[in-house]
Parts: sequence; structure tokens; C-alpha cells
Amino acid sequence: MHLIKTLLRRKLNWVALPLMLLFGFTALLAPWLAPHDPEQVDLSQRLAAPGAGHLLGTDHLGRDILSRLIWGARVSLGSVLIIISLVMLLSLVVGCASGFMGGITDSVLMRICEVFLSFPTFILAMFLIAVLGMGMTNVVLAIVLTHWAWYARIIRSLVLGMKHREYILAARVAGTAPWRLFVRHLAPSILAQLLILATLDIGHMMLHVSGLSFLGLGVQPPTPEWGVMISDARQYIWTYPEQILFPGAMIFLAVMAFNIPGDTLRDSLDPVIRAEEV
Amino acid sequence: MAFLQVTRAVSTDGSVWRTNRAIVCEWGRRMRIWVLAVVLVSAAAAVPAAGPQTLVYSWSGNVGPLNPHLYSPNQMFAQAMVYEPLVRYTAEGGIAPWLAAAWEISADRRIYTFHLRHEVSFSDGTPFTAQAAKKNFDTVIANGRSHSWLALVAVIAEVRVIDDHTLQLILKQPYYPVLEDLALVRPFRFLSPAAFPPGGQTADGIRAPIGTGPWRLAESRLGEYDLFLRNERYWGFRPKIERIRVKVISDPNTCAVAFQAGEIDLIYGDDQISPFTYMLFRGDRRYSSGTSPPLATRALALNSAHGPTREIAVRRAIQHAVDKEALVKGVLLDTETRADTLLSPTRPYCNLGLTPRGHDPALAERLLDDAGWRRTDDERFRSKAGRPLSLDLCFIGKSALQKSIAEVVQADLQQVGIRVLLKGVEEDMFGKYQKEGAFHMIFNDTWGPPYEPHAYCSSMRVPSHADYQAQAGLPMKADIDAWIARVLVSTDENERRRLYREILSTLHDQAVYLPISYTTGLMVHGPDLAGVAYGPTRYEIAFEAMVKKQAATGLSPATEGHHAQLHP
Repeated sequence: MHLIKTLLRRKLNWVALPLMLLFGFTALLAPWLAPHDPEQVDLSQRLAAPGAGHLLGTDHLGRDILSRLIWGARVSLGSVLIIISLVMLLSLVVGCASGFMGGITDSVLMRICEVFLSFPTFILAMFLIAVLGMGMTNVVLAIVLTHWAWYARIIRSLVLGMKHREYILAARVAGTAPWRLFVRHLAPSILAQLLILATLDIGHMMLHVSGLSFLGLGVQPPTPEWGVMISDARQYIWTYPEQILFPGAMIFLAVMAFNIPGDTLRDSLDPVIRAEEV
Repeated sequence: MAFLQVTRAVSTDGSVWRTNRAIVCEWGRRMRIWVLAVVLVSAAAAVPAAGPQTLVYSWSGNVGPLNPHLYSPNQMFAQAMVYEPLVRYTAEGGIAPWLAAAWEISADRRIYTFHLRHEVSFSDGTPFTAQAAKKNFDTVIANGRSHSWLALVAVIAEVRVIDDHTLQLILKQPYYPVLEDLALVRPFRFLSPAAFPPGGQTADGIRAPIGTGPWRLAESRLGEYDLFLRNERYWGFRPKIERIRVKVISDPNTCAVAFQAGEIDLIYGDDQISPFTYMLFRGDRRYSSGTSPPLATRALALNSAHGPTREIAVRRAIQHAVDKEALVKGVLLDTETRADTLLSPTRPYCNLGLTPRGHDPALAERLLDDAGWRRTDDERFRSKAGRPLSLDLCFIGKSALQKSIAEVVQADLQQVGIRVLLKGVEEDMFGKYQKEGAFHMIFNDTWGPPYEPHAYCSSMRVPSHADYQAQAGLPMKADIDAWIARVLVSTDENERRRLYREILSTLHDQAVYLPISYTTGLMVHGPDLAGVAYGPTRYEIAFEAMVKKQAATGLSPATEGHHAQLHP
């Protein structure tokens, strides 16, 4: 409840939150919302202008752009959801192990983290795809592998901060098993903060997926994806600018819709900013 | 994204000051470069371009070390600029004298005697003699393994120097396309003896790219450009243009934008720009444009040794399922013409009257049904004995044209219940798939004249070619290879006709290729360039005939419209 109040205090969120919901519903209900089959090629209808038959027109192979955008939302949001869950899982395991056990485990895990943190994520992702091969599965894997380290470090610091709190010490003294200690006492508060961190990054991950797909490394045709649509529309930029405009606008709006609430949440968690507001 | 990275760096290690300072420095550096660039550009605009006549062309990569006897990464158009053959292929399909002014063929067709031109020298001053020619022939033959696709290399028994300007080729057995093979861009062209490496074998590399041609390579900058200068020692027609700068532009869209901005003078060749951009330029009165006659065949190879395409019924169904007419019209925008046979009937020995396989989805479905690939009404794809009818189609990922064609083929095949997985890969991987036969369907263009039909057929016997891999599963593959071997050494014209008919009609009947269209070269240039014409092959560009009109040099794109009014 407190969370929603914080969010609503910033006016921009009045736009961003409904947009977020809209994208979510579009992705969920794509098969029912799309007026046409997004993969239906009809060369006689190529590059049709927006109109009654095709609300946003058709692409260079005569496919309905609106339907492709709607299905594209599913691909983008779906892949980001999977990426975030996998990143959370991996970083939670590494971060907790590192923070909880300390010692040599901590040192080894953190050095591995540093290796991943020292490369620009996009370059590292491209390298991993070159090794793993192209395709959506590998793009998801590559993005997970390039992003977990940052989260792992944050989780480690959260665990370290909590490890010596009185209630944890009390639980330990009472003889609680480490696993139970983690599930009952540590995980709830870590997970809450982690979820907020994750929303921060949805926009960023979306750009990653679209960027890699734009380069032809991600989704394989004919699956509709916004980055791929932009790539396909490149050669028509002077003559049919709407071809590139529509998917571009989708990426812009989606990233914005997820970034603005994320930013608000981060600000509300930041003790410095909170102190200033008070 | 860069911004996100920076904020993270700040928040995790707290080195705000350092990061900010780095940004400030970076900006300062950029600003200085920009200011410098602006000053330079305005200076360049103020001074009318006097300098030597320079033609700017573009290519997707650097031209390579220009070893005349080797293949990739050496680019053929550039090899043809620097090196010359003994004889040349003409537009009419004949052979004309070039470095050899005349030749005689012995009665048993095993001895070819060439009389070399006298006044020819390499661009380093070394005279072109029979000894120099023999040195080149010998090093090519010594590296025969690299040339296994070209039967002539293995057929030459000996190269003899009769005198300074008479050279004799002695063959192990008669081989009818000797002159055609000598006319090829590689490997039978001539490097200056002074440029041979210490070991004497060009397979190990060359000292410098020095040939007898009208151009010499002056400078190469990796990823930027290659600069060719006119060869002032050239024996033949002296080009008007003095310098050719070949910019590296790998993407067709960038190429088109660079052309519009006046950064390049000429678009010429297949795959330089997309058909769509070509049509835009064609409708623009400021530019001259043209398409070449059909050059080669755009085709898909269907693998007879691997996957569901092993079955002839599937291969034949594919032929009838794809609507080539729509593809040519909707994707290629009629810049190319529909292909019904693997080799165009206009090629020698290829006018066979083979029956075209027209677009007929109902027939395709019937063929598949009869072969046991069935689907129920609620299934999208066919299957047989629990195995789905699923094929992959490999294409070069960055090629927008191949991607579009692949997507249309995919949609057409899905109509008849064949599932197609598209595999867009990068070029090295694509070559690997071709060589290893790791495909069901793959783009595989033919080579065009002067390779067709003899050298192209000859290469079908070499396992490292997609053609061999695609045919490997045919029950009569051994016969095909034997026919090819025979046709190349046959001295009887009628027998050759019969054998080519045998080879090409078998391949057609077995449906191991899906011919799509006969490719053309697309050519666009501004009004300040004249003499641009298509040569007889897709591998040579006749820069030497081009002229840049002096009045137009140095015109900025902004004044081009005015210029066009002078030449409506």
C-alpha cells in the first residue's frame, strides 16, 4: 500500500502505470487482440498505407504491422520476464552463498562476479551469442549471464547487512538450521528489495533484447519482434518512415513505462533522497 | 545504454569525480575533432577540386592482398583490375586475344601454342615474357589442391617456353574449355616474377600485387578504403580516370545513403543496393541507371542426402509450392526475371527445353499426400510416422534480400504444410554449412558466364561445394560425376551436347535445386560519369572505359539538381 502511494505521488506515474498495464494485457491477450495473423505474407499487399484493412499498414512482405506489434509485445515482455526470473534466481543463490558463508567461498564468487562486471554488458552478450549461436534462447542466456553479477553483489551486501541483526542472531542462538533461517527470516526482506530492483531493469533488458534482435542475433524470422521490425524497415526509412516509427515508438513507450515507476521506487529507497524530501 | 553504465559505475564505486572528468575529456576531444572536421570541410568546399580524376566506388570489404592465384579474401573485381589473362571472354560468348595475340591448337587438341604480345610489361617495369607466364602457370599447378574445382589445372601436363614470346601448354588429354578457363579471373592470371615470395610459390603469399592490368593497387587501409592508380606503363587503352578509390561500405543502405550524399560516384554490381533502393534511384531524374542482362541464377540447393529433402517427392513439392512469380514481382521488384531451370537456356549447351515447374500448391499437396506426408484438418504441418515435415533454410543473416526471399519461401511452404525454420547466420558459418552439407535448403547462386556450364558443373564433383552436398544423396550421383568428367574431355561436339543434356536434365528431374530468378547487376551513377557499361561477366568492371566529366567534379550534392537541368 505504501508502495502504491509512493508511486502515485509522482505525476508521471499516472501515465506510466496504465501504460505498463496496457503493455502487460496486450502481451497476455495477443492472440485475441491481433486483427491478423502476424506471419501471414501477402506480397500483393506490401507496404500498404495505414487504413481500414490494416490499421497501421503492412510491412515489406505485406504482413499486418499492428498484429506484429501486438505479438511483438508478447515476445519482448515474455523474454524479459524470463530473463529477470533467471537473473534473480542465479544472483540470489550466488549472493546469499557469498554473504552467508563468507571466507573463501565469498572471495571466489566475488572474483567471478568482477570478471563479468568488468566487460560492457552488450559486448559480452554479443560475444556469448557468437559462442552459443543465434536464437532467442541463447539471447536470453547471454543477457542472464551478463547481468547476474551486478545483482549478486547487491544481494550479498543486503545479506551482509542483515546477518548481524539481533533477530537473526537470536534465531541462530535458538538453533535454527541455516536453510530455515534463510527462508523464514532473510528471504522475505531481501526479495522485496530485489523485486523493486528488477522493475528498474525491465526497460534496460528490453533494449538489450531488441538491440540484439535488431542485429539479427535474436529472434529468428518470421517471429514478430520490435527490434527485428526496425531492422527490416531500415531501408524504407526515407520513403515509408512509419514502418520504422511504429516499432520504434513501441520500444520507446514500453521502456519509458517501466523505467519511470522503477526510478520512483529507487528514489524512495534511497536514504539520501528520502532524507532530503523529509 | 551507455548512460546507464555510467550511472552504475558511479553508484557502485563512488568515483563520481573521475567518471565525470572522463566524460568531460571525451566531450572535449570530440568537440575538437568536430571543429577540425568543419574547418576542413569548408576549406575543401572553397577550393574547386582540381586534382587528378578520381572515381569513388564502394565494396563490402577490403579487396584483400590481391594474390592472383588464390581465392577469398581476394575480391575478384579487384583481381581483374590488376591482372590480365591470356585470352578474354567476350559479350557474345566467344574468346578474344588479350595478352596472347594469337594461338594455335594442335590437331589432337593437346598442344596449345600462344604467341604473346610484345610490348607488355608489368607495372614494376618487368617485361611480360613466356618465362614469366610459365612461372605463373607452374605455381598454380603446384598448388593444384586449392584448384580442385577447375579441371584444367589437373589436365596441364607441362608448360613449355619456346622463345621469349611463345608459350606452349601441353595437356594430358584433350579438354575442350581450355580457352574459357584461361579467361577466368583466377587462377590463370599473371603476377610479376619480381613479386613472387622467396619460396617461389604464390600459395605462401606474394610480395606485392603487381600485374599487367590498367590499374595498380597503391594503398589499402583496413576497413576504410583501397586506392588504385592508373598503370602508366599499361600497354592497352589508357583510361581517362587516374585514381579509383574503393570505399569499404558493407551495408546496402549505407551504400545508398553514401551515394545520395555524393560520397561515392558509382553503384555497380549485384547486391550493392536493394531492389527497392534501385527503383527509387531509377525514378530520380538526377541519376542514370540500368540493369545488366541476366548474370547468374539465384537458387536454393535442396539437400538430397539429409532430412526430409532426401525424398524426391518433397523436393518436387517444394518446386510447385513456391510462387516465384510473386517473389520476383514483390521482393525483387522485377529487377530480375523468373528462373525455371538451374542454368539459363541462353548459356552454351543449356537450351534443352526442360519443362518448367509452375506454381501449383494443389499439385504440391498431392505429391506430399502420395508420399505419405499427411496432415489432418486441424494440423498446420504434415508428418509421416510421427516425424514432422520440418526443413531448415540457411541464409546470410545480414542480407536483407535473402532474408525477405527466405521469409516468402517459408510462408509459401507453410501453405502446403511444410514447416520451415529460418537460420540466418553470418558469412563464415554460411560457407561452413554449404561445405559440410549441414542444411536442408540453402541459398546457392550459380556462377554465370564464363563458368557456365563447364566449370560450374566441374565443381559439382568437389565435396567442399554445396552442389556436391546437395546432390550427394542422388542414386545416380556417381553417373553424374562420370558424365561431367567425360564431357570435359570430349572432343566431339555432339557427344558434349548429349552429355550436358544428360547432366542438366537429370538435375532438373531430380529437383535438387529450386531456381528462383536470373540475377542482374544494378547500376546507378550521377550525370558527371560517362562510359559506364556492363561487361560480359559479373566479375569484371570496365573502369577503364569510364570518364568523369570535368565540369561536374567538385559539385556538391546541393548543386546537382541544377546540373541535372542541363542534362534532362
